[in-house]
Amino acid sequence: MNRKWMVTVWITALCLSLAMAGCPKKKPVPPPAPAPEPTPVAPPTEVKAPEPPPPVKEAPDPLDAELEELNRYLREQGLLGDVFFDFDKYDLKPEARERLSKNAQFMREHPQFLFTIEGHCDERGTNEYNIALGDRRANAAKGYLGSQGGVGDVGTRVQTVSYGEERPFCTTAHDESCWWQNRRAHFVVTGRR
Amino acid sequence: MKSLRPPLAALTALALLPLAAGSQPPEPPEVAGRQPDITVIVDKSMRPRLRLAMPEMGGLRRLESTAARAAQELDETLREDLLASGVFDLQGPAELAVLAITGDRARDFEQYRSLGNELLLEAEITREGERLVLEGRIFELASGRSLLGKRYRGTFDVTRRIAHTFADEIVLFFTGRQGLALTQIAFQSDRGDRQNREIYIMDYDGWNQRPVTAHKTISMSPEWSPDGNSVAYVSYLTRAPGIHLVDLRSGKKRALVTDGTLNISPAFSPDGRRIAFARTVGDGNTEVFIAAADGSGVRRLTHSSGIDTNPAWSPTGRQIAFTSNRGGSPQIYLMGTEGTDLRRITFEGDYNDGAAWSPDGSRIAHATRRGSGFDIAVTDLVTLESKVLVSGPGSHESPSFSPDGRKIAFAWTRPGAGTQIYVASVEGGEVRQLTREGSNLAPAWSGYLK
Repeated sequence: MNRKWMVTVWITALCLSLAMAGCPKKKPVPPPAPAPEPTPVAPPTEVKAPEPPPPVKEAPDPLDAELEELNRYLREQGLLGDVFFDFDKYDLKPEARERLSKNAQFMREHPQFLFTIEGHCDERGTNEYNIALGDRRANAAKGYLGSQGGVGDVGTRVQTVSYGEERPFCTTAHDESCWWQNRRAHFVVTGRR
Repeated sequence: MKSLRPPLAALTALALLPLAAGSQPPEPPEVAGRQPDITVIVDKSMRPRLRLAMPEMGGLRRLESTAARAAQELDETLREDLLASGVFDLQGPAELAVLAITGDRARDFEQYRSLGNELLLEAEITREGERLVLEGRIFELASGRSLLGKRYRGTFDVTRRIAHTFADEIVLFFTGRQGLALTQIAFQSDRGDRQNREIYIMDYDGWNQRPVTAHKTISMSPEWSPDGNSVAYVSYLTRAPGIHLVDLRSGKKRALVTDGTLNISPAFSPDGRRIAFARTVGDGNTEVFIAAADGSGVRRLTHSSGIDTNPAWSPTGRQIAFTSNRGGSPQIYLMGTEGTDLRRITFEGDYNDGAAWSPDGSRIAHATRRGSGFDIAVTDLVTLESKVLVSGPGSHESPSFSPDGRKIAFAWTRPGAGTQIYVASVEGGEVRQLTREGSNLAPAWSGYLK
């Protein structure tokens, strides 16, 4: 008898294990177990949102700044710079070409920006000549950018305007200490696309 | 009594031929007037001046308050005009105070003569309601004859104009040429707002400086239309500089030439029907163009890879002077109005620019660089001889002839004073500062105004 019971247990265990692997289908499905009584749950612990991190002043990308601030930033970082000319000249000196190459690099890396090159002159000579001279200077710089490649269509990305002697950068003296600063092609980001 | 008439007639002839030698060498004129550091090269053939006694106007002391102030201004303005004309040496109340004027005309005339005077200007000023009446008369002291008598009446606010009108009549009588006292000078100024420049106009003596534009941008290069009714100028009203016109009577402004990227340096033909200007073609190549005065029918005149700009139409209307660096440095060239018959006219100095024709068409004034700064030179178009007229420290630029050809307005930049407008006599002797507020440049002298 004892032995018979043992056999039954064994068969049942076997059957159970077989059921897990796929019991014979003929086995009657046991009635669903009654739903268990809900176990009483401890009162909910108050879950708080994690403390917000102390407001980290995350610097916005300076390249997204307003144009005026953007231009200041680009000048300070040396990303965009002006080129300077000799009196009554509009040919590009070696240091001017160097500067223009850096400007071209910035333009390549940031195709979203539109530029204006302003031509400027020192106060000597008439406005009528200096406006023309400033236009030459701005266009000399623009032409060099165009030759650098990779900056896109310079014709649409870069505009020129000549201010002649009318928007000087230095006005504190009427001599070379100011004049050299005023003979330049001045680079400005004037828009985004 | 010996008449002064023949010598006066001779002087009148001299006035018409300013370069003819005087019968005796004139006194060396005072150099530089109020500016001791400017040099005006004196033309040795400067004519002697007429010696005019001008005692205080009669009736001046009987007037009160506003009328007295207006009369005082009239008296002073007339003296300044006559002095500025360069035609007269004036003895005023201070110099004449040594005389004991009796009221006996013959004896008093002798007294004026004893101080070297040839002429007497006697004027009486009276009040009629809210108006002043000026009656002026010029006597030839030797003969006692009255040569010229005039009477003017006007409200207190036009006293300067009364004085200018009388002065011009006097100058016309003695020289055969209208005086300058009613002419005006246009210029550009940054006063008020250093970032911008507006077009201004002032009387020939620097009074009544008033803006004629208020664009709040850069406006520059004023140029009178020959009829004196409007001024063309260049303005950055859009992104690029363009040529605009302001009607001085209505104040209305309109665009004249604004196509393309850059239009500057307007210059009217003497008949007022055409306009020359400079425009950029291609990448920064400035060339000289002409168009009808309304800006239509644009035609290109120059073709060089260098800068061509700053045209100035000759008084005959047949030639245009302009600046070009096609030869390596900025120099002044002449061409016909079709762009033909091109020739260079400046050869001294490495930078010549800003051509201004003398009204008789025989000479061109321009800025010249022969040392470190710019001087004003005058180049004779027949001999191409070029003489420096104004030099000194700093830079002298943008000459413009008065319509009688006897004076030149120019801009002088020097340390501490910014750029200011001065007037020099072409015959030398006197330089006068007209502007003081802000920086002022590009003077353009009007023609004779109606």
